[in-house]
Amino acid sequence: MSETAAPLLEVRNLKTYFRSEEGLSRAVDGVDLALPRGRTLCLVGESGCGKSVTALTIMGLVPQPPGQIAAGAILFEGRNLLGFDRDQMNALRGDRIAMIFQEPMTSLNPAFTIGDQITEVILRHRKVGPAEARTRAIEMLRRVRIPAPEQRIDEYPHKLSGGMRQRAMIAMALALDPQLLIADEPTTALDVTIQAQILELLRELRAEFGMSLLLITHDLGVVAEVADEVAVMYAGRVVERADVATLFRRPGHPYTIGLMASIPKLTVDQDELPVVEGTVPNPTMQPEGCRFHPRCPFAIDACRATDPALTAIAPGHEVACLRAPLEQHVL
Amino acid sequence: MSSDPTPILEVAGLVKHFPVRKGVLQRVVGHVRAVDGVDLHLAQGETLALVGESGCGKSTLGRLVLRLIEATDGSIRFEGRDVRALGDRELRGLRSRMQIIFQDPYASLNPTMTVGDMIAEPMMLHGAGNAAERRRRVEEILGLVGLSPYHARRFPHEFSGGQRQRIGIARALAGEPRLIVADEPVSALDVSIQAQVINLMRDLQRRFGLSYILISHGLAVVKHVADRVAVMYLGKIVEIGDKRAVFARPRHPYTQALLAAIPIPDPTLKRQRALLEGDVPSPLNPPAGCRFHTRCAFAQARCRSEEPLLEATEPENAKGGHQVACHFWRDVPAMAPIAAGIDADPVLVRLQGFFSSRGRDDRATALASGPARS
Repeated sequence: MSETAAPLLEVRNLKTYFRSEEGLSRAVDGVDLALPRGRTLCLVGESGCGKSVTALTIMGLVPQPPGQIAAGAILFEGRNLLGFDRDQMNALRGDRIAMIFQEPMTSLNPAFTIGDQITEVILRHRKVGPAEARTRAIEMLRRVRIPAPEQRIDEYPHKLSGGMRQRAMIAMALALDPQLLIADEPTTALDVTIQAQILELLRELRAEFGMSLLLITHDLGVVAEVADEVAVMYAGRVVERADVATLFRRPGHPYTIGLMASIPKLTVDQDELPVVEGTVPNPTMQPEGCRFHPRCPFAIDACRATDPALTAIAPGHEVACLRAPLEQHVL
Repeated sequence: MSSDPTPILEVAGLVKHFPVRKGVLQRVVGHVRAVDGVDLHLAQGETLALVGESGCGKSTLGRLVLRLIEATDGSIRFEGRDVRALGDRELRGLRSRMQIIFQDPYASLNPTMTVGDMIAEPMMLHGAGNAAERRRRVEEILGLVGLSPYHARRFPHEFSGGQRQRIGIARALAGEPRLIVADEPVSALDVSIQAQVINLMRDLQRRFGLSYILISHGLAVVKHVADRVAVMYLGKIVEIGDKRAVFARPRHPYTQALLAAIPIPDPTLKRQRALLEGDVPSPLNPPAGCRFHTRCAFAQARCRSEEPLLEATEPENAKGGHQVACHFWRDVPAMAPIAAGIDADPVLVRLQGFFSSRGRDDRATALASGPARS
């Protein structure tokens, strides 16, 4: 990767809010991301941290109202997507940016064969005839390693296993050779041996297609397997950004450290699991100061008052914590 | 954990076939062989984990043991009594001693009842105590699972996922059970909440000598919680044994494949691994011979025709030891152990230690030092 080249996707100070009966929910509240060309960025965090809403905002899929994009910019290939109208977004979606979801069965239409659904995408965006689109669809099924694609193309989604359905979804997403694939928890609903197959496939396809991958997951194991770059989200913010090796070797934010600590380990015997006490804050009532301070074992008085900004603690490693670097301050 | 000489639960030859019906006449056209001949035992205070992928029969097995569904064949003995022979009344009496907690606590909690009423319900059904005694007991149980007395008046929708699972556990505890079947109890929870619930289940087990059957696809959780592990594939146990033995020296090619497929949160580990090809075959029509042979890298002609039986890997410890159902387990190469990687990093270990209960006790002293970043 060349450090000077502009990233394919850059998200700056993005704020996506939702109006609800309980008040204004600040689901995404100042998110900064950068995804270089040809790389995989993992967005990791727990339920309600805003990772999926960030992805939906990039795709222009946040319903407004109740949603509103309160601030920020989404630069894709240098153009701000937040300034695009509906037609421009429709032309972009599926073509330059594609997305796959956790549960392929809810994204595939059960009334049409997978071939119908892949060729529809191709016919909609490309000036080709049905025969050519079908050939392309079969080719896509082959590239996602679906056996006997000439027969499978005429099958309905319910005839496929969970893993095969996710492959079909990926084939559809990649049919137009997008620059960016956004995958929201693509393996969470799958069994572990099938998950391993799909992660391997995504890795291979990212290289084959030369695309960039934004992968959203709650699973640090998945992050370690596929990420080049990682952004950790908590309560609507990115609290840490680093390359994958640095993030795991020298995590800088207490939340990242706590998440890693609370996963049972295969290599170490522990009697009691370390725990991040408490729960994620309600997005309508974020704590003052650092949003993690009520759960943070390292918090000091300043953390209750000051909302920390992402700050570099090493080249390419940014942490939003007043006490960073922790190892100097607490060990 | 020590294994009690008389097991609290003994299962032999357990079979469950679900009929598959088709057409307007709903004729039976086949059977899903969900559980197809399972033997196991569980000691007092012990945790046995059932692991395997969707459709392997682990959840069906858990429900059969509690007689939430009726077995097709086989025997279940709980505290020495033949569970399958019990009448309705006796079964109800036994139910408070055998409980279940589910993956999705919200779906298993009645949204129209307060938490207190839900926990008190089993006591009322069994005619235990008067209203005041029951309320005291509800408050005591809420305390056991880390909730407060005022939570008794709240409804399930007012709680977070982790708290709902605590309520599910509280309700299971109300009948003073000896055995709890926990069906994916932490799978729907966030990572930081999982650890809280896992610790709670372990504390309760130590305090009350509970026995657990833990049904889980999360092998890291199983490694942390279980005493023994049974690996299931298409309705059969293919490997069973002490947790340490199964994780350190997995013998069955399927167990090895499952372990190899777990994504480990450590990018410094470069694992060479053979991924399983294809999907699990349909339990409607499982492969002949060894059910795993269609996906097995070591399969030979014998595997396609002859079904392997569980066999002790150490003959001197035949029953209750490490057993594997593979004709060629002696020839399957040992898996390379997973290196400790970042888990052994001294700085990380110390930082993570701040999130342990000891770390929390030491917090005050640790916080005395170190200025804030300007």
